[in-house]
Amino acid sequence: MSDLMTKSPAASGSASAGPGAGAPPPRRRRVDPTARGVWPFALPAVLVTAVLVLVPVAYTIWLSVSDRQSDGTNSGFLGFANYAEMFGNPQFWNSLKVTLFLFVVCLLVETVLGLALGYVMSLDVPGRRIFQGMMLVPAITASVAVGLVWLLIMDPSLGAANQILAKVGIDPVVWLGDPDIAPWSIALVDIWQWTPFMALIISAGIRSLPEEPFEAAALDGASGWRTAWNIGLPLLRPVLTVAMLLRTVDLVRFFDTIYIMTQGGPVNSTNTLNVYGYNAGFVDHEPSYAAALQVALLVLVIMIAGGFTWFRQRASR
Amino acid sequence: MTKRLSGVYAAYLVFAVIFFGPVLFMLWSSLRNNVDITGSLFNIASPLTLENFTNLFERFEFGRYIANSFIVAGGSTILGLVLGAPAAYVVVRRKLAALGFVTLLARMAPGVLFVLPLFVLSIRIGGPDSVALNYALLIVAHLIITLPLCIWLLVPFFEEIPISIEESTLIDGANAWQRFRRIALPLALPGLSVALTLSFIFSWNYFLFALALANERTLPLTVIAFNFIGQGSNDFGGLMAASTLISAPALLLTVFAQRWLVRGITGGAVK
Repeated sequence: MSDLMTKSPAASGSASAGPGAGAPPPRRRRVDPTARGVWPFALPAVLVTAVLVLVPVAYTIWLSVSDRQSDGTNSGFLGFANYAEMFGNPQFWNSLKVTLFLFVVCLLVETVLGLALGYVMSLDVPGRRIFQGMMLVPAITASVAVGLVWLLIMDPSLGAANQILAKVGIDPVVWLGDPDIAPWSIALVDIWQWTPFMALIISAGIRSLPEEPFEAAALDGASGWRTAWNIGLPLLRPVLTVAMLLRTVDLVRFFDTIYIMTQGGPVNSTNTLNVYGYNAGFVDHEPSYAAALQVALLVLVIMIAGGFTWFRQRASR
Repeated sequence: MTKRLSGVYAAYLVFAVIFFGPVLFMLWSSLRNNVDITGSLFNIASPLTLENFTNLFERFEFGRYIANSFIVAGGSTILGLVLGAPAAYVVVRRKLAALGFVTLLARMAPGVLFVLPLFVLSIRIGGPDSVALNYALLIVAHLIITLPLCIWLLVPFFEEIPISIEESTLIDGANAWQRFRRIALPLALPGLSVALTLSFIFSWNYFLFALALANERTLPLTVIAFNFIGQGSNDFGGLMAASTLISAPALLLTVFAQRWLVRGITGGAVK
């Protein structure tokens, strides 16, 4: 037994093909004797996942087409009245707008800044790991802590941001109290929290790029920028799309830091679909309407993620 | 060459100030008194104190909130591993993609979508009134985070085990469970520690489920810190001390287990 233990799995690497997870790489199908009889082991996880994921989704869909009251009674099937109410409610369209605004702004800035930071992180210099460690912190710090720190930084009268602005002679900014500014401030916090995450994926991608094309370009006397744009970026596209897809899924259901910092305000200027849905269910006590919103949000996530995947497959063809 | 090096370090400095500065600001503010925090950012020589932390434990039952966070994060992590490790093994050995799809759905679905049904269920079975039931509900809810994560993280580790090692035991007549238990699982031990640490952190950090489902006695750190905002909005020192306590496991992890972390938060996007 112990001699098996000493054999590090990392050292073997014979079967370490793809990144695993959802899509194992297509391998030549051969009868694998070790695969026999393992089925039952997955049963508990399959059952639990089914109950935990599929049942809530099904129940939410049921809620959305029925009429559950806040006192717990449900007068039964209602058809699509909740959806009709949703599409007729300007608040829904506002939330959709806010969600898409944050999605576009954050994804754009996080990708561009992430490329810059990712490039810096990929360079082999002494201290690289320490720097990478610091850059990891925003992504794994609890959103509650992130929200609280930024609430303090963005406090209108006492906050660090305005103190710094005052030093350079800029008037204080009402970061979170002004409906025109609040969405940008929320975007700023998300960009702070998730750009290093993008950079991390990108830097790992850069480090695994082949060297030959770059050497060839250098021999041809191409400039650094041209090489990066014409050779680096296209080679990096698969990694970049994965990173953007991960962020997309999270941005469309943006909730945590918003709920902590503004709860959707002021004047609904940061009221994303997910925050709106939560408030409809747990503040306004309209579970069926909230369910319709959640179904709409799920459809939106799947549509955007699906579109992304489709685009990616088409582009790689 | 040295010119290039100093250029890189200049970039390091800029990015560190932007992305690590606010974290340092949180740690520093948790050690200053309120007058100094709101007084001036630039008064670096202001005295440091542990008062914010001691206040948390004296005025509020912070010990219990920490314990609650431990119970929920620990429980959901252990359950996630117990269910997830055999499942990840099956995913690898049988090249199963369907389970991957369902876990992907769990990753994409908005959290509120899970919270509504769980809340209805909680009311039906008396969750808001019973401490034990409430813990159980929170642990089960957090399983939505930990189970897919455990499977996701463990799959590459099982993939790295050469089939030949297991095949050699076929001759001894070991059955599937014995092969898993005695050979695959010990070999995947590094993966188990990765999954254990990361799902603990992710579960510890998670905010929404406890916000909607916890009762007075089962509130974890994240939600109580959020509730603070309304109550003592001027007690910035207390808020920063609470934030520091919430961030402590993640910060410790960055120092001691950076490589696992890279793998975990990029979710297998890169190796």
